[in-house]
Amino acid sequence: MNKSEWLAIVLVVLASVGTVFGILAFEKHRRAKLYTVELVARAPENGNWYPRTITVLQGQPVRILVRNIETVSHGFALPEFNVAIREIKAGHVETVSFTPDKRGHFPWLCTVWCSDRHPEMTGTLIVQ
Amino acid sequence: MKSFPSRLLIVSALWLAGLGFAGAEEKFFEIKARKFSYTPSTIQVNEGDLVRIRLISEDVHHGLYLDGYDIQTSALPGREGHLQFVAEKTGRFSFRCSVTCGALHPYMIGYLYVAHNRNFYAASAAVILMGLLSLGFALRPRPGAPEFKLFGLIPLNWRLPLLTKFPWLRPIFKSRWMPLIGLIINLFIFTIILTAAVVGGIGAGNYNFGVMIVWILWWVLLMLFMVPIVGRLWCMVCPFPLIGDWIQRGRLFSVGRQKSWGLARRWPNKWRNLWPLVVLFWVSTLFSAFFTVKPLATFLLLGIVILLAIIIGLIFEKRSFCLFVCPVSGFQGLYANFSMFAVRARDPEVCRNHKQKTCFIGNEKGYGCPWMEMPFEMNRNTYCGLCLECFKTCPYDNMDFYLRPFGQDLLAERRRTDDVYRRRGTDEAFKALTMIGIFLLFFTAFQGPSAALKDMVTAKTAGGYLLYLVESLLTDFAIIPLALLVAAWFSRWLSGNKEVPLKKVFVNFSYCLVPVGLAVWGAFSMGIIFPNGSYILHILSDPFAWGWNLFGTANFPWTPFLTRFLPGLQILIVLIGLAFALDFGFKFAQQTYPTLDQAKRGWAPIVVFLILAHVFFLKLFVG
Repeated sequence: MNKSEWLAIVLVVLASVGTVFGILAFEKHRRAKLYTVELVARAPENGNWYPRTITVLQGQPVRILVRNIETVSHGFALPEFNVAIREIKAGHVETVSFTPDKRGHFPWLCTVWCSDRHPEMTGTLIVQ
Repeated sequence: MKSFPSRLLIVSALWLAGLGFAGAEEKFFEIKARKFSYTPSTIQVNEGDLVRIRLISEDVHHGLYLDGYDIQTSALPGREGHLQFVAEKTGRFSFRCSVTCGALHPYMIGYLYVAHNRNFYAASAAVILMGLLSLGFALRPRPGAPEFKLFGLIPLNWRLPLLTKFPWLRPIFKSRWMPLIGLIINLFIFTIILTAAVVGGIGAGNYNFGVMIVWILWWVLLMLFMVPIVGRLWCMVCPFPLIGDWIQRGRLFSVGRQKSWGLARRWPNKWRNLWPLVVLFWVSTLFSAFFTVKPLATFLLLGIVILLAIIIGLIFEKRSFCLFVCPVSGFQGLYANFSMFAVRARDPEVCRNHKQKTCFIGNEKGYGCPWMEMPFEMNRNTYCGLCLECFKTCPYDNMDFYLRPFGQDLLAERRRTDDVYRRRGTDEAFKALTMIGIFLLFFTAFQGPSAALKDMVTAKTAGGYLLYLVESLLTDFAIIPLALLVAAWFSRWLSGNKEVPLKKVFVNFSYCLVPVGLAVWGAFSMGIIFPNGSYILHILSDPFAWGWNLFGTANFPWTPFLTRFLPGLQILIVLIGLAFALDFGFKFAQQTYPTLDQAKRGWAPIVVFLILAHVFFLKLFVG
């Protein structure tokens, strides 16, 4: 096989498999640097918050990446630590960062009327 | 104290000012919004009225953006939105949801009518006038043979051989990197589309890279630019058959085996036409309300197409998949006959003397036509995928890439009698007809205000979906074909020629619907890209909804673009379609009937058919 044939094969592999692995590896590296944990926002009937509970350590700074992968707006509020995002638009992401200074179980909730079951859209932060 | 005449002046001035807004009053509407419709979905006012709208949401955060007036409000459950404006522009204006509210959010639409709709009346008058003018030109007495010129100006046999005119282009066309490099770039784009459709969230249709690029950008580019100008340009760089080709040939870049490594079966003669594509495209449109809004459905659809391309490639010879299975191949093939570009042999004499016919069987420079055309005598674009192999295999450089007037191939009659699929036929006629039917249902479902229809296409109830299926089947395969058949019957009756088969009249005039189809789909596409194009800025910067901001446009808000010009542009494009249909229609009449007199008489009913159809289209778009 000649050189051009190999070049074409390399390009095709790069454009397909290479692209997928490149994207995933880059994102993994980026996340590790930027965020402690990822939180997916979904209305209760579509799976609710994921995960429902997040465990963190007291005194350690926390950066939560909140991803709204749905088609309606959601909000985020963790009243105990006075952090909130007023609106996370559909398909958008937001981050919240804070340093928990007390131990215990603290609820977070959605603050935008996102469905009929909106009040059920809550989760728990466990600080150890 | 003022004098009497000056008082009279003031009074009459006031009276005159009031006359301008004669009957102007205050109109109040309470509009309830819920996924994915407004109640009432259409509201009617008069020019000059003061319109007040109270928007109430019954489920989630909804908005109301009024096209043309560029004003908006939004409402949450328990928090109303308010809008107040003077209806100073007349016509029909869409109002649409401006807050992403669910899968069908981009298609949550209502209509505001501001009487009197001068746009619609003027455009309808233009349609009738154009029809009568065309008839007048056709009927006017003239000596000699009929001239085949586009709009009486550009000779329809004119063509410019681009590779002869610009010889530096030929090495590009002969390089084996063309069009492979375009394919690889597209492979990269589609890899991102597929990845985004999986990781980019399950529900966020209008914020998903896959959904937006495929159904907003790709579709619009295809219908407004690629197909009408260059024909099967998309097929040239489509990445889907790549793997099938690779397996068949054993080589990706260089020339491997001419005979496929697969089974290389011949596609059955019975189905060597557009019929499989007519049916497959129709079937896939039945699921349009899912894959145009749900990323995962888009992924599944593309996945099925990719798998089918490989499987068909393994079983059947060459590009059987592209020719007879790919759902979007049919309309591209038919509409490509309208396009300005074509691959053709230059000098027929050279081809006649070249007994080896390497463009068909292949040689060490390239493959025999993968689309199973005979490049040496090809005269229509339907089955030419612009793969450029014939430029490589022709030892005499006798292939050229031609620029020519729009629609040249629509006039091309079959040359041979033994080929199965290179002719005018009912398959192409039905492709043209079903494209109109599918447009009608798409428009009413996705750009119309009917909540019931949206529930039907999204299969809210099984019965409703079944009804939609039956409705679509009847519209596409019975009502619209029947309308053309009636017109064809009248055409033959009025021509006085009983020898001409009705089928021939029906088929020949169906090609009027090629420019018409392109125009209505173009107008439909504008109605999608103008209001929703701004989403593309967001998804380009954040393709996987991970919080990336590649180009700094991730937070660009939804911004409807130039919606005030939308109705005007839609009217314009529909009228252009009609102009081509009228111009070519009389030429079809001359091809259908042996004498000019018969053609003139037979043309009249078709003009009436086209006028009625276009007034109907205008009614849909702006009426």
